[in-house]
Amino acid sequence: MIELLAQTGLNALYAAAYMSLVAVGLVLIFGVMGVINFAHGELFMMGAYTVVALYTDFQMPYVLVVGLAVMFVGALGIFMEWSMFRPLRDNPLGGLVASIGFLMILQAAVSMGFGVRMEHVPPVTQEVIEFSDRVRLPVQRLVVILAAVVLLAALWAFLKKTRFGWALRASAQDREAAALQGISIRQTAQIAMFIGAGLAGVAGALTAPLISVNPHMGHSVIIAAFIVIIVGGIGSLEGAVIAAVIYAFVHTFVTTFYDGVVADIVGLSLMLLVLVVKPTGLFGTADRA
Amino acid sequence: MTIPFLEVDTLTMRFGGLTAVDALSFRVEHGEIHGLIGPNGAGKTTTFNMISGFYTPTEGSIRLRGEEISGLKMFEVARRGVVRTFQHSTLFAELTVLENALVGTHMPFRPNIFAAIVGWDTEDRRGAHARAMESLDFFGIAHLAGERAGDLSHGHQRALGMAVAMAAHPDVILLDEPFTGMNPEETNRMMELMRRLRESGVTILLVEHDMHAVMGLCDTITVMNFGRLLTEGTAQEVRHHPDVIAAYLGGTRHVA
Amino acid sequence: MPRSLIHVLAWPLLGVFLIALPHVLSFSQQEILAYLVFNVLLVASYRLLTLTGEWSLGHVVIMGVGAYGSALYTKHFGVPVPVSMLLGAGTAALIAMVLSYPLFRMKGFYFLIGSFAAGEIIRLLWKRYREPFGGPKGLKRIDPMPDIDIGIWSFDFFEPVSYYYFALAVVAVCLWIMWRIERSPVGLTFHAVHWQDNLAESAGVNVRAYRTLAFVIASGFAGLSGALMAHYIGTINPTSFDVEQMVFVLTWAIVGGTATFYGPILGCVVLTILNEIVLREMGFEQMRPMIYGLVMILSVLFLPKGLESIVQRLVGRKPAPGALAEPTRMEDRA
Repeated sequence: MIELLAQTGLNALYAAAYMSLVAVGLVLIFGVMGVINFAHGELFMMGAYTVVALYTDFQMPYVLVVGLAVMFVGALGIFMEWSMFRPLRDNPLGGLVASIGFLMILQAAVSMGFGVRMEHVPPVTQEVIEFSDRVRLPVQRLVVILAAVVLLAALWAFLKKTRFGWALRASAQDREAAALQGISIRQTAQIAMFIGAGLAGVAGALTAPLISVNPHMGHSVIIAAFIVIIVGGIGSLEGAVIAAVIYAFVHTFVTTFYDGVVADIVGLSLMLLVLVVKPTGLFGTADRA
Repeated sequence: MTIPFLEVDTLTMRFGGLTAVDALSFRVEHGEIHGLIGPNGAGKTTTFNMISGFYTPTEGSIRLRGEEISGLKMFEVARRGVVRTFQHSTLFAELTVLENALVGTHMPFRPNIFAAIVGWDTEDRRGAHARAMESLDFFGIAHLAGERAGDLSHGHQRALGMAVAMAAHPDVILLDEPFTGMNPEETNRMMELMRRLRESGVTILLVEHDMHAVMGLCDTITVMNFGRLLTEGTAQEVRHHPDVIAAYLGGTRHVA
Repeated sequence: MPRSLIHVLAWPLLGVFLIALPHVLSFSQQEILAYLVFNVLLVASYRLLTLTGEWSLGHVVIMGVGAYGSALYTKHFGVPVPVSMLLGAGTAALIAMVLSYPLFRMKGFYFLIGSFAAGEIIRLLWKRYREPFGGPKGLKRIDPMPDIDIGIWSFDFFEPVSYYYFALAVVAVCLWIMWRIERSPVGLTFHAVHWQDNLAESAGVNVRAYRTLAFVIASGFAGLSGALMAHYIGTINPTSFDVEQMVFVLTWAIVGGTATFYGPILGCVVLTILNEIVLREMGFEQMRPMIYGLVMILSVLFLPKGLESIVQRLVGRKPAPGALAEPTRMEDRA
C-alpha cells in the first residue's frame, strides 16, 4: 500500500510539473492582456508536434529540439498577440473567440500535416530510477519535474529582478498606470505572450515521449489548466503553481483509486466550489471579471 | 406616541478597522425634504447606501413606519416604497428615454411573462406607458422619449434619473448628490422640481456635500462629521451652529 | 408603398420558401437542413440567455439534458415521443433552475467558467454511469417520432423532409414565443438587468430572479432543441454535447451579432451553409475547420458587430431602440 501511495505521489509530482508550466503561461497571458487564451492547449500540442517533426522524423538531438520548440511556440504566441489580441484589446469576448478560431486552425494544420492518428515518440532515455520493485521513476519524468522547477524559478527571478519583469507585473496590475510609467504595453504584451506560449511549448515538448501525441491532445490540457487557474486565483502566478500541485495530486490519486472520469468530476467540482465560495481563488486578490 | 416615518437608529458601519458611520440616529418626517450633509468623508454616502439596501449595516437599524428594513436587499427596500437614485448619470444608456422610465414602472406594473406571451397584458402595458410618460412629463423631458438615454445632455440625464425613480411611485426618494456638476440655473430648476415632488406627497432624503445648494430647499438638515451626528435642525439653526462652521472650515467647503 | 408591400409579403414568402426548400436539395443537404432547424432554436435560446448579460458555456450540455431526458422517458416509461420532448425540455429547465443557485452567485467571466464546469460535470456523469445514460457510447435506438396521418397527408418521420416540417413548425412557435418575451416588459427588464443591474434593482427588480428566469426559459428551449435532435438521429452520446459543440454555438452568436433577435440565427445559417455546403462542395474536406477558424478570427477582427450590422446597413435602419418600448400594436391605434 505504501508503495502504491509513493508511486502515485511520484506520478502526481510529474503531472503537477507540466501542469504548472501550462497554467503559469495561461495566467501570465491573462494577467497582461486580459484575454483567455483558449488555444493554450494547442500551443502545448504544437510543442509536442515539434518533437514529432524534428526528433522522431528528422532525428535531431532532443535537447536542441526542445529549445527549438520553445522558440517556435513562443513565436506563435507573438504572432497571436500581433494578429489577434492587440487589435481586440478592448473586446475580451472577441479575443476569446479569435483564440478559439486559432485553435481550430492549429488542429486542422496538424491533422493535415501529420494525420489524426496518434504519434509515437520514441523514448529519449529508457533509464528508470528504481526506488523499489514497485516504485519507479522514469528519467524522462524526472527531467520534466526538474525542468519545471528550474524554469519556474527562472521565471520568478525574471519577474522579480529584471526591469522587464517589473514592467510585466505593473501591466498585469493596471495597464493604464503602467503606460503612464513609460512602460511599452506592446512590448510587455509580446514578452508575456512569448513566455506564456513558450512555457506551454516546452511542456509539450518535454512530455511528448511520455504521452500519446494527437491533434486533439490540447483539449484535456486546457480544461485542467482552467481548473488550476481558477482554484489558484486568476492573476496569481504563485497560486497557479500551488493549485497545479493540489490539482495534480487530487486528480492522480482519484484516478488511481477510482477512475479517470471520477477524477475529472472531482476536479471540476473543486473548481465550482472555489467559484461559489471564493471566486478570487485560494490565493488571488485581483478581481478582474 | 406616533411611529416615526423613517427612522435611523444607532446605525453603524465598519469596513475592516475603519468605522465609517458610528451610532448615527435621525428621523425623517413624512412629506418633508430632508438633507443629509457633511464634509467629504463624513459617512453620508455610506449612510445613504445602508438605507437603500446597497450595504448591510454592521449594527443598528433602519425602520420605515416602524418596520425594520435594514439588511434587506435593494429591490426589497424599493418594494417597500424607498427608491434611490445614483450619483452621476447612472442610466440605461443603450435604451431610449421612454424605456428607461418604463423600467421604473416595474413595481406598479409588475410584468407577467405568460400574459406577455399570450397578449393579455395590454391593459398593464398601457398603464405603464402612461405612468412613464407622466413621470417624464413631470421632469420636462417627455419630448425626448424616443432619444437614446446615453445621447442626452447632462442635465437631462439627471432629470431622467429622477424620472425613473418617480415612475416607481415611491413614498421616499433617496437622492445621491443631485446637484453635483449642475450650473446655478439647472440647480434652481431641479430645486423647483423637488418642491413639486414634495407637494405630490413624496418624502425626499438627499445627500449633498455642498451646503449652499440644500439650505434653501430642505425642511430639516442632518449634519454629519467623521461618521457621527453633528447637529440637526432647520437651515437657519444649522447655518449658525458653531460646530458646523468649524467642521466645514476644517474641511474644504465653506458655509454660505 | 413598395416597402410596405414587402413587409406584408415577407412572412408568407419566407414560409413558402422554407416549405419549398427541401425539395430542391439533395438528401444529405436535407439532413443538414433538419439540423439547421434544431440549431436555430438552440442559438436563438442562447441569445435569450445572453439578454441579461451573462454568457454561458454550458448551454449545449443543457440541450443534451433535454435530449437524454426525452430519450430516457420514451425508453423507460413508454411516454409518447411528442410528450417526452416537452418533458425533456422541462427537465432541462429544471436542471437549469438547480444550477442557477450556485451559478448566479457569479458574474461575467466567473459565470462563463462556472457554467462550463457545471456543464462538464453533467456530461461526465453521462459518461460515467452506464445505467441509465449508456456511458461513453450513449443511448442508441431512441424511439423515432411515430408516423401520423392527417387526412390525405401521411408523415413518415424517418424521412428528413417530414421531420424537417415537423421541427420547422415547433421551432417557429418557439421563436414566436421568444420574440414575444423579448418585446414585452419582461424583455425590457432583461435588458435593464444587463446594462445597469444596480439601477434596475433600485426600481424594485429582483435581479437574480430575472437572471434565473432568462436562464431557465432559455434552457427549456435548448432542451427542446436537443429532444428534437435526439429523436431524429436516434443516437446520442456525451461527445454530441461537448465543448466543441458549445464553441460552434458561441461562434454563431458572435459572428451573427447579439444586438438583434435575428443576429445569432443569421450567424447560424450563414456559417452552417459555409461549413457544410460551400466548403464541402469545394472539396476542402480536411481544411474545413481551418477555414472555419479563419472566418471566426476575421469576423471578430473586421466585423465586431456581427453580420447583423451588415443587414442593418443594407436595410438602412438602426436596431431601433424604441422598438422595445412599443406598448403593443393595439396601443398605437388607441
